Amino acid sequence: MKIALIGNPGAGKSLIFNQLTGLGVEVNKYPGSAIELEYGNVCYKNEKIELVDLPGIYSLDGDSEEEVLVRRFLEKDGADSLIVVLDATKLERNLYLLTQIAEYSLPMVVVVNMIDIAESQGLIIDTARLATIFGTEVLPTAAVLGKNIDRILPLALSSSQSPVLGVPYDHHIEAALRSLEKTMGTPRRKNLLALQGTGDDAALRDSAGSIATEIEQRHQMSVGQIIATNRHNFARSVAAEVVKQSPEKKRFDLDSILTRAFPGIPILFLILFSLLLSVFVIGSWMESRIVGGFTEFILPPFAALGLHPLAERIGYSVLVAMEAGLGIAFPFVFTFYLGLSFLEDTGYMTRAAFLADRSMHRLGLHGEAIIPMVIGFGCAVPAVMSLRILKTRREQTIAAFLIILVPCSARTVVVAGIVAAFVGIIWAFSIYLIIFILIIITAIVMSRLTPGEQFGMIVEMPSLRKPRIQLVIRKSWLRIKEFLFIAMPLLIVTSVFLGLFQYFGVIDIFQSLVAPITVSLLGLPEYASTALLFGIFRKELAFETLAVLSGTADLGSVMTGVQLYTFAIVSILFIPCISTVAVLYKQLGAKIAILTSAYSLFLGMLIGVLISLLMK
Amino acid sequence: MRTSLREDYLEAILIHTGRYSHPPTAQDLSEVLHIDKGEVSAHLRELADRGDLRLSDDGRIVLTDQGTTTGKQIIKKHETLQSFLSEILGMDRSSASDEACRIEHAVSDETIDRLGDYLRSPVIQPPAGDRAKPVHSCPRGHQGHTSCGYARSLMDYEEGQRLIVRDILGRGCSKRLLDLGVVPGQLVVIKRKLRNGSIVVQVKDCAVALSPENASAICVERIP
Ligand SMILES: Nc1nc2c(ncn2[C@@H]2O[C@H](COP(=O)(O)OP(=O)(O)O)[C@@H](O)[C@H]2O)c(=O)[nH]1
Ligand SMILES: [Mg+2]
Repeated sequence: MKIALIGNPGAGKSLIFNQLTGLGVEVNKYPGSAIELEYGNVCYKNEKIELVDLPGIYSLDGDSEEEVLVRRFLEKDGADSLIVVLDATKLERNLYLLTQIAEYSLPMVVVVNMIDIAESQGLIIDTARLATIFGTEVLPTAAVLGKNIDRILPLALSSSQSPVLGVPYDHHIEAALRSLEKTMGTPRRKNLLALQGTGDDAALRDSAGSIATEIEQRHQMSVGQIIATNRHNFARSVAAEVVKQSPEKKRFDLDSILTRAFPGIPILFLILFSLLLSVFVIGSWMESRIVGGFTEFILPPFAALGLHPLAERIGYSVLVAMEAGLGIAFPFVFTFYLGLSFLEDTGYMTRAAFLADRSMHRLGLHGEAIIPMVIGFGCAVPAVMSLRILKTRREQTIAAFLIILVPCSARTVVVAGIVAAFVGIIWAFSIYLIIFILIIITAIVMSRLTPGEQFGMIVEMPSLRKPRIQLVIRKSWLRIKEFLFIAMPLLIVTSVFLGLFQYFGVIDIFQSLVAPITVSLLGLPEYASTALLFGIFRKELAFETLAVLSGTADLGSVMTGVQLYTFAIVSILFIPCISTVAVLYKQLGAKIAILTSAYSLFLGMLIGVLISLLMK
Repeated sequence: MRTSLREDYLEAILIHTGRYSHPPTAQDLSEVLHIDKGEVSAHLRELADRGDLRLSDDGRIVLTDQGTTTGKQIIKKHETLQSFLSEILGMDRSSASDEACRIEHAVSDETIDRLGDYLRSPVIQPPAGDRAKPVHSCPRGHQGHTSCGYARSLMDYEEGQRLIVRDILGRGCSKRLLDLGVVPGQLVVIKRKLRNGSIVVQVKDCAVALSPENASAICVERIP
């Protein structure tokens, strides 16, 4: 038995999913898509039920990845029943989606969630009437209060029904649907898609296309517009029948502060700054614990094993990689995710996108691009993964070039550990300033060079909410799992390779080969190139390797201020870490992965040489 | 046979088929076209030889694909000319139709296309070559427009204004806007407008944030 949760973003699907499933949730990529779905198993009356949390969508006809996925799921996977989650406070817009889901004629129950908020807003929803109109069971719920959640599954199992109602479309559309059905033998739902120019049947799209053109000429409106208008009008008439609004109390609206240029923009900076600062403070503390634990409890016993030197080398590399992974993943990335998921759950990130829209336009992007950029301050890997929210290839390309420059938490450790500690706080900030300028220049150049058209931002701003701590932790946990999944194996493999190189003396050859660059051009000690090489594997490791190779933790005593500064900036800029390159390759392809790496290598060398020349 | 006569036949057969949902007989055609029956039979034979139509067993006249295509073109020409004559030049509908019957046989496809474009959006069209390629998913006749013309867009109003959406132009004709409820006839309220043009509108109890370029593609009318 397979049951899927479907509905608008923010309707409460995930919260309901969590309450229904508890433990035993698996996250899997949907075949042929980058989107991950949560699958959970529930036992009810000795029956095993597989529950799926589908991504939130506004429509079933669109071309966005989420919409295509859900459409495919409904067509191919054949859920035995759907739980359609509607947001009671936005019933009309949610009914629009319901009218489309109804066209799939799958058995379903309708859940009208957020009934608690609706009541506090003076909205009364006649669920019985809704049930009669659609011919399905309708259950009012308040997921945060757990109200009626226990009744969802029994209802879905016992009385799922296919809805009986369809939208009455414009008579030209209806005629077109009939004639397509007759000539092509395809079902109404497919014909609707084809008339709007989507769907996977090319022959059908072709014949629908010419009919659509005719209808469009008659109406002076696109078929998509006509169909959407019909559905919205239908949803409006249903909403008018089932929603009663008693006079609403005027309440204070936080958006009257947050979305104004003033004080909204200062608040935005304050929030982002405190997020980064607290991640840094908490992260450094936790990291020292983890690294301390390793050097105290794990490495000495391993050394005491007295293995063959080669085995020891390999084992040691694996351990170091794990230390590195854990040392960055939990202290920095996880802490950052907690803060970010918290912000996202309040709904604040859409306000941030709105405020940043104009500045982002100057960079060839739009407001929503602020989200990957902010994530990039935590770690570039999830930032690249989140590029999905940008719809065009152009925006994704530009943003990818910027993300690899954004100082992630590992780079912050380098700046703090080398520059702030041995050169001075002001110098540390100057590095941020340089990076900031480079980001702006890169964006301006990239927005000129990257082909494609620029589209603006169209995002729903959900109402602000108190975040649910469990959900925040869960979401962060899922994200960190994703991170560990990608980064850990890579870290271990690269570390073993580097260990072997070191063992067989390849590193020394490399060191002397690039010595002309390291020593003459950048003015650094010869061993710095090895430290930089390790930095590819994890940025922070550049700093640690430097300390090991120079033989002292007091770097100030072996290198000059200019050398430390140059080293820091080169290691930050040049080549994103291996995990980032891997995820860039996976997400955007080999070309972008290579171009961004080459670009950052070039930038790192250029700035490094400039600094060592200027400061001589 | 004269081209104009052939076109008249094809047009009449199509119209009859559409109106009565079955093809006409020779008798029907003779009445509609005011041509006597014997002559009609001769004409029909000639048209059948050209591959425009065939006679079905029950004596009805069925158009072939070729005949249908030509017939449709003529009907389109007729309709376009008739609207132009009556709506723009102010001729009464029946004389416009008679006039259209005469011009439709001589007029070129290009003239009809341009007249059609003109009717859909009465502005002067730039010469061919400069025109944007029509996009199937966007409203026809709107491709060249980047502003609402004499109509106002969302960008022209201030915070708190209640407005009715009238039209969504080319660039803004994004599916997402439609799905969020920004469709012709919908009431929207401007909740926030920054000096730089980014806008938040309230649509159906939901707030939607828009970039300036999207907002300026949404033509609206103020609620008095
Ligand atoms: N007050 C209230 N909040 C809810 C209810 N259901 C969900 N939420 C909150 O709405 C937000 C969005 O819920 P989520 O489950 O992530 O929605 P999804 O996008 O459909 O998965 C979360 O902050 C939830 O805590 C409800 O019934 N009442
Ligand atoms: Mg969710």
